[in-house]
Amino acid sequence: MPAPRAWFKGRIMQEEDERAGTPATAERLLDGLSDLCLRVAGVLLVVLIAIFGWLVFGRYVLNSTPTWVEQAALILVLYITFLGAAVGVHRGTHLSIDFIREAMPEGPRAALHLISDVALIAFGAFMAWQGWHLVATNLNRKVPLLGLSESWRAAPLIICGVLMVLFVSAGLYRRLRAPGR
Amino acid sequence: MGLLILFGLFFGLMIAGVPVAFALGAAAVAGFLYEGLPLFVAFQRILSGISVFSLLAIPFFIFAGELMMQGGIAARLVRLAAAAVGAMRGGLGVVNVASSMLFGGISGSAVADTSALGSILMPVMKEKGYAPDYNVNVTVTSSIAGIVIPPSHNMILFAVAAGGVSISKLFIAGIVPGILMCLCLAIAAYLVAVRRGYGGEEFPGWAVLASSFVYAIPGLFTAVIIVGGVLSGVMTVTESGAFGAIYAIAVTALVYRELTWENFKKAVLKSVVTTSLVMILVGCASAFAYLLTLYRVPELLAGALTFVSDNPIVILLMLNLILLALGMIMDMAALILICTPIFLPVAVSIGVDPVQFGIIMMMNLGLGLCTPPVGACLFVGCVVGGVKIQDAVRTIWPFYLAILVALLLTTYVPAISMTLPNMLQ
Amino acid sequence: GTAAAVDWRGWNIHPEGYPNTVAMEQFAEEVAEKTEGRINPTVYNGGVLGAQPDAIEQTRNGALDFANFNMGPMGPIVPATNVLSLPFLFDSVEHMHKVMDGEIGQRFSDALSEYGLVALSWFDSGSRSFYNTKKPIKTPQDVEGLKIRVMNNDLYVQMVDALGGNATPMAYGEVFQSLKTGVIDGAENNYPSFESSNHYEAAKYYSITDHLIIPECLCIAKASWDELTPQDQEIVRQAAVRAAETQRQLWAERSKASREKVEAAGVIVNEVEDKAMFQAAMQPLYETFVQENPDLEPLIMAIRETK
Ligand code: NA
Ligand code: NA
Repeated sequence: MPAPRAWFKGRIMQEEDERAGTPATAERLLDGLSDLCLRVAGVLLVVLIAIFGWLVFGRYVLNSTPTWVEQAALILVLYITFLGAAVGVHRGTHLSIDFIREAMPEGPRAALHLISDVALIAFGAFMAWQGWHLVATNLNRKVPLLGLSESWRAAPLIICGVLMVLFVSAGLYRRLRAPGR
Repeated sequence: MGLLILFGLFFGLMIAGVPVAFALGAAAVAGFLYEGLPLFVAFQRILSGISVFSLLAIPFFIFAGELMMQGGIAARLVRLAAAAVGAMRGGLGVVNVASSMLFGGISGSAVADTSALGSILMPVMKEKGYAPDYNVNVTVTSSIAGIVIPPSHNMILFAVAAGGVSISKLFIAGIVPGILMCLCLAIAAYLVAVRRGYGGEEFPGWAVLASSFVYAIPGLFTAVIIVGGVLSGVMTVTESGAFGAIYAIAVTALVYRELTWENFKKAVLKSVVTTSLVMILVGCASAFAYLLTLYRVPELLAGALTFVSDNPIVILLMLNLILLALGMIMDMAALILICTPIFLPVAVSIGVDPVQFGIIMMMNLGLGLCTPPVGACLFVGCVVGGVKIQDAVRTIWPFYLAILVALLLTTYVPAISMTLPNMLQ
Repeated sequence: GTAAAVDWRGWNIHPEGYPNTVAMEQFAEEVAEKTEGRINPTVYNGGVLGAQPDAIEQTRNGALDFANFNMGPMGPIVPATNVLSLPFLFDSVEHMHKVMDGEIGQRFSDALSEYGLVALSWFDSGSRSFYNTKKPIKTPQDVEGLKIRVMNNDLYVQMVDALGGNATPMAYGEVFQSLKTGVIDGAENNYPSFESSNHYEAAKYYSITDHLIIPECLCIAKASWDELTPQDQEIVRQAAVRAAETQRQLWAERSKASREKVEAAGVIVNEVEDKAMFQAAMQPLYETFVQENPDLEPLIMAIRETK
């Protein structure tokens, strides 16, 4: 069994592809960022499972239900989702229908790629902007039973939105520099 | 006009290759802008769509499924199925179906089923002289059992999209139709095998059967934890999902001793990726659905369908055909989230129980996972089996037929799905 | 009038046929009719546009124009309304009506209007009491050790804890199954919800504690309200008042019918002889609340002093 140290080192999961066109350091930085998000989300998933164990334990064994678990879990799942969704954008693992685009000749295909990238960047930007708005307007609202500000619920929108813009822009840059890929 | 923008942009972006979730989200944003609605509401809907208590079970089911793949539970279920039914003619085809039925009872996902069982069974089948296209056909179609037999995270999506259908009722309702579907598939697998002249395996003897059963018990017990936890009432669905995951860690690490730190890490990270794909879809679909509600789309569709015919049999057939067509080109989770609020009121208005309609949807959209041009299970199955999609599809029709038979029976004989839940309530 | 017609979107969490739904639809029809189509309201029932906290934000920001909100989930947004979530604040539903229809109700309206909501009339949501699968609750001691589901609100958790119970926040949709199978022992709600949620099939003891009597408002978005002519504002206000009359009457009938139905189904309903014991147990809860919200103490006093 490798030391837990390995957890923080190197890339996780296979899929390595050559990425011509972009400066190598920028690529590595984005890869690192994506991996970091994935690992943080992974830790949060383990935490999510653990607090549910604690919930059932508390209810049956201690006869005192930890009242914060449900609300905390509902916020945790947002972080897992939006961090993972950003990683999915970077790795291209989201469910998409690309058979039509890929069946096209090169010209229209490049155009569809461009449309797709622009739409994703725009959506990411809206997500970050409106996420910011929701964070700013909910600062004084408390999540019941948790005492945390409601803003924590909206913050993942900002993270995911910004990351989406970053990741998709890098892909767009890559394609523009090396067309036909 | 608003509807035109909404659907036009959604389909347009999807064709351009934008991931389905973001195509839904972007179309919704455009719709909000067009209607002059405050934009934050779109993102509020996305957050609230994800932050739903019942949906918390989804990461747990996905994680438990990943652990079963990494930790040796799947392999032991295959061994049990092989010992039990391998001696029939075309034995390994039937073994494949039976494994899916067993595995379906603990995994909530058809794609997990395809990749887990496919990677164990297809090499063996190939070695015994079964043609790769047959192997892919059986593996892929029988993996739908993962969705129809509980637990199933797609049922949770349905329950949430339907606005409060009981998840435990859905779970129980899926058992008989799931087994019925596997039965139909087993018959298809047998008949095709006979035609192609595949032989059976030697019966390994009762001792081996018994021992492989014993080895499989701890794995099968995951199903008892998840489904049993819900039925016995010690836990809610969400909690039993968490406990299923904790139990799967314990079994694969301590009993089967196949869970290494590396495998565990891999299972966690893969679950994060899968979970986020499903959940972001859920969120964006709720923003989209907000506009569908404002535009009164469910009422419009109900009006259109009842205009065509007021015969329940015809309406149900039409609903099935629309779902089948959509299922061919779109992903299951997205379709559940978009179509449930639109179709369910129609089905209910002609007297179909929401629970039964949920099972119909599971089976119908499950079939969509096995069809080109967009079929996640078919794709995974073809990759694992090393077969081109067009080659697999050329010979798959007997299996489609088997599922269609099961689907029609489930659609028109309510007792198949409703007897068990009605008995237990 | 020369003003262009406006479409109004309304939010209501209740299903078709519910007293609130009937009242909201009556309101919509009356407004459309009396303004001769200058305002054209549509009610979206069943909470299809989101849960209440989301709908409040939507109404405050102009995505929705009118809504029927319960004051319970209003607390995190409009702090003064937290007072209405204090257990045993009102002695009876009549007491609540008297308070909310008078000068104190106006104080709550003022508080809401600071947050972009114009409260025109007050609906009834009955009184909430405990029900459970184990035994009749007659004294606070009977609550001891029971796992009781409460809504997501610190005050409700503190209330059950103060009675010695095990407060268990849980999504509403999970409650039926959880009662049936023993994940929890009980919950608390009014008769119509106790009946329509089928919880009475699982929980056979309903004890009339009346611990929470939470009013609901018919609110208009301030932005939509301010655009109306004074004449139309008056029409809307009167329609809202009439809607409240309808809702209260239907609610009372519905409560009675629900009580009869659950009793016929074998639920054992018991009165609580000595409510003072329960109220006494709430003392620490009130003290903490006043400590944390000193500005709300006069409001609490005023409500208690209204007879
Ligand atoms: Na399953
Ligand atoms: Na398909």
